[in-house]
Amino acid sequence: MKRTTASRLGKEAKAVPVVAGSRAEVSESKSGSDQLQMVEEARRLLAAIVESSDDAIISKDLNGTITVWNRGAERIFGYTAAEAVGKPMWMLMPAERVKEEEEILARIGRGESVEHYETVRIRKDGAKIYISVTLSAIRDGNGTIIGASKIARDITERKIAEEDLRGQAQVLDSGQAFVCDLKGRIVSWPSGAEKLYGFTSEQALGTLSHDLFRTGFPEPLEGIEKKLFETGFWEGELVHRKCDGGSITVSSTRVLHRDRQGQPVRILETNIDITAHKQAEQRLAGQAEELSRQAEELAGSRAALETQTLMLQSVLDSIGEGLVAADETGKFILWNPAATRIVGMGAKNVPPGEWNSHYGCYLPDTATPYPVERNPLVLALQGEANTAEMFVRNPELDHGVWLEVTGTPLKDRSGAVSGGVVAFRDITQRKIDEREIRKLNEELEERVARRTAQLEAANEELEAFTYSVSHDLRAPLRHIGGFSKILSEEFSPDLPPEAQAHLRRIENGVHRMGLLVDELLNLARVGRQALELRATTLNPPIEEVVCLLQPEAEGRAVTWKIAELPAAECDPVLIKQVFQNLIANALKFTRTREKAIIEIGSREKDGQLVISVRDNGVGFDMKYSDKLFGVFQRLHRAEDFEGTGIGLATVHRIIHKHGGRIWAEAELDRGATFYFTLAAAKPTGISASPSTSKTAAAGAQL
Amino acid sequence: MNTAEVEILLVDDSPEDVALTLHALRGENLSNRVFVAHDGEEALEFLFCTGPHAERSFDPPPKLVLLDLKLPKIDGLQVLKQLKGDARTRTIPVVLLTSSREERDRIVGYELGVNSYLQKPVDFDEFRKTVKLLGLYWLVTNQPPVINVKSHLAGQR
Repeated sequence: MKRTTASRLGKEAKAVPVVAGSRAEVSESKSGSDQLQMVEEARRLLAAIVESSDDAIISKDLNGTITVWNRGAERIFGYTAAEAVGKPMWMLMPAERVKEEEEILARIGRGESVEHYETVRIRKDGAKIYISVTLSAIRDGNGTIIGASKIARDITERKIAEEDLRGQAQVLDSGQAFVCDLKGRIVSWPSGAEKLYGFTSEQALGTLSHDLFRTGFPEPLEGIEKKLFETGFWEGELVHRKCDGGSITVSSTRVLHRDRQGQPVRILETNIDITAHKQAEQRLAGQAEELSRQAEELAGSRAALETQTLMLQSVLDSIGEGLVAADETGKFILWNPAATRIVGMGAKNVPPGEWNSHYGCYLPDTATPYPVERNPLVLALQGEANTAEMFVRNPELDHGVWLEVTGTPLKDRSGAVSGGVVAFRDITQRKIDEREIRKLNEELEERVARRTAQLEAANEELEAFTYSVSHDLRAPLRHIGGFSKILSEEFSPDLPPEAQAHLRRIENGVHRMGLLVDELLNLARVGRQALELRATTLNPPIEEVVCLLQPEAEGRAVTWKIAELPAAECDPVLIKQVFQNLIANALKFTRTREKAIIEIGSREKDGQLVISVRDNGVGFDMKYSDKLFGVFQRLHRAEDFEGTGIGLATVHRIIHKHGGRIWAEAELDRGATFYFTLAAAKPTGISASPSTSKTAAAGAQL
Repeated sequence: MNTAEVEILLVDDSPEDVALTLHALRGENLSNRVFVAHDGEEALEFLFCTGPHAERSFDPPPKLVLLDLKLPKIDGLQVLKQLKGDARTRTIPVVLLTSSREERDRIVGYELGVNSYLQKPVDFDEFRKTVKLLGLYWLVTNQPPVINVKSHLAGQR
């Protein structure tokens, strides 16, 4: 500044050195008019210079009173010379600067030189201005300081520009933009960049930026540089490493700076961290992908749903059951074709209270209108599952149909009733069938009653018959037997041996016939008698029978093996008859055995008591076993074993009467075993007579 | 035969049965004083001394009545009922000797006061044995009530 002022002064007034020199010369020269004129001339010149100077030139005395005020001062400060001269200097100063001025003045007063300085002053209009000041002392002829001259220049614009620049520099410094030379070496490293990357200026400056950042380029570096140098601009995304090794994605902008001649001088590189943005972008892309996948899935499941819906729809359309659903307000939401076919009418959204009347629903008496509150769909809408029979007759169904209706509430996920559905079937045919069956049943019952009466009559006849047999058939027998006996006893000496043999045959025939009649009567009686069931221990009757048959076993080796049998619910008289017949048989058919073995035992089978009578006799061929229990059926010749063929038939009838079963196992010449049970295998609900049902109950107890 | 000497009244419609019974009784020398009635009516006439037997006296009564059940006109149970229902004949021992094995008949017979009930065995030997036992028992072994029907009846009157 000082230099600048000096040079300017020098430039504008070549005469100044002369003046200065002349003053020296003046002080040394002699007074003279020439000299005076020269001095005056010089003063005028100086005054003109002062007056024409752009700078403010002011002088003041040591009190600070303004003594000189040139045009420059007027322009800078706004005061005219008239306004300023004689006024105190501090009027130009802001309050905080008055002290500064005083100090400077004091320094000048002490003879110290004050370099130029910059300060702030207040213009007449109150505006603050920056000025550059050069102060110099003014001495009198004696060299005594009497004041100070001040050359001030308005530097406000420059100051503002400087501040702007400083501000800009600060902004730049806090920013991330850094500068590289044309080779890419970092030449400026603002704090913003340091903050971003973590590298210090020492690390960064002079280093190739892509080395420092280990830049991952999306395209070859040459291409980037080519574009930068051709267009002066490049931008793109790069991946950089930070000082801590972390990777960041930056949006990078490179601008080529040129000098005034257009030569490239430097590169400004600005990198903005877009890692978070990038990650968000990736997340977003992921989410978008997921979303599109879900959308695809949704579309897929929607297609499946549609297929399923179509399928369900066709099922609903094709099933024979009528299906009707309503929402909770009673609005029909489903009415399948079968429903229309069955009730003859389609869905019509009448209020639930009018359903019965609209569709013609009646109670099973086919005349009473179905009560609204009992309508199956109404009940379903109230959350009540139900089943009903209903008669429907309306103008479309002249004869009416019988329906079996099932109502079910529809529930949403929370379990709240959201509607109802009824399924119904046309059971008219079934109703007709039922009626038919009922009729048939009635007829059947009638027939059964008739048949029962017939049977009873037949039974009575049979009774009468057996009574006759018992009396009338036996009498002639007795007569034949009696007289043949008398004949053979009293007249045998007169009879030839052949006649005697005939008489014996007659007697034998009579004897056999007697047995036959007795056993037939027995059989008939078993059929007629009612069972008297009571818990019976089975061993005592067996012992009685064995005792009774002892004469048969006389002179034979018979081994009895009689197990301890449990008690059974049966008729004690008849069970004795059973044992008697079976044991008598066993004795009879073991007659040819040297040692007869007769075993009586029992076992449990399927919860039933099975009693067995086993012998080691002649047995029989199982192929005839079906004839075993028939009346008059015999499997042995009379010459070998006598018998009537009624005994086992009687046993069979007794067992059958108990609801039990009898069967035999045998092998020719290897013995026979008879098995029987005394109750039906399973109690059944069907009972022909009270006695058999009693037996069934007894069976359940067993 | 003097009906007054009748010890056994045999009531049977079957001549064969009669012949066989008499044959059996003959073996024990009991057949001489047997009167045979061939139906219920005749039996009652004999017992109550009516009709052809009006001449007969109640005293002495027969020592035994062998009664069949199935009889023409009036059946055996009917005869029994009248016989046991009359004071004049009530004390006469009656044995039902019949072909029937019907329990019902037996029960009714005892209810009406029969003294014994026997089924005629088909086998003649057994029949003979039964008849012999019967005759000996009722005519020999058994002690009849003191028989003075007349005084008894007179007393009642």
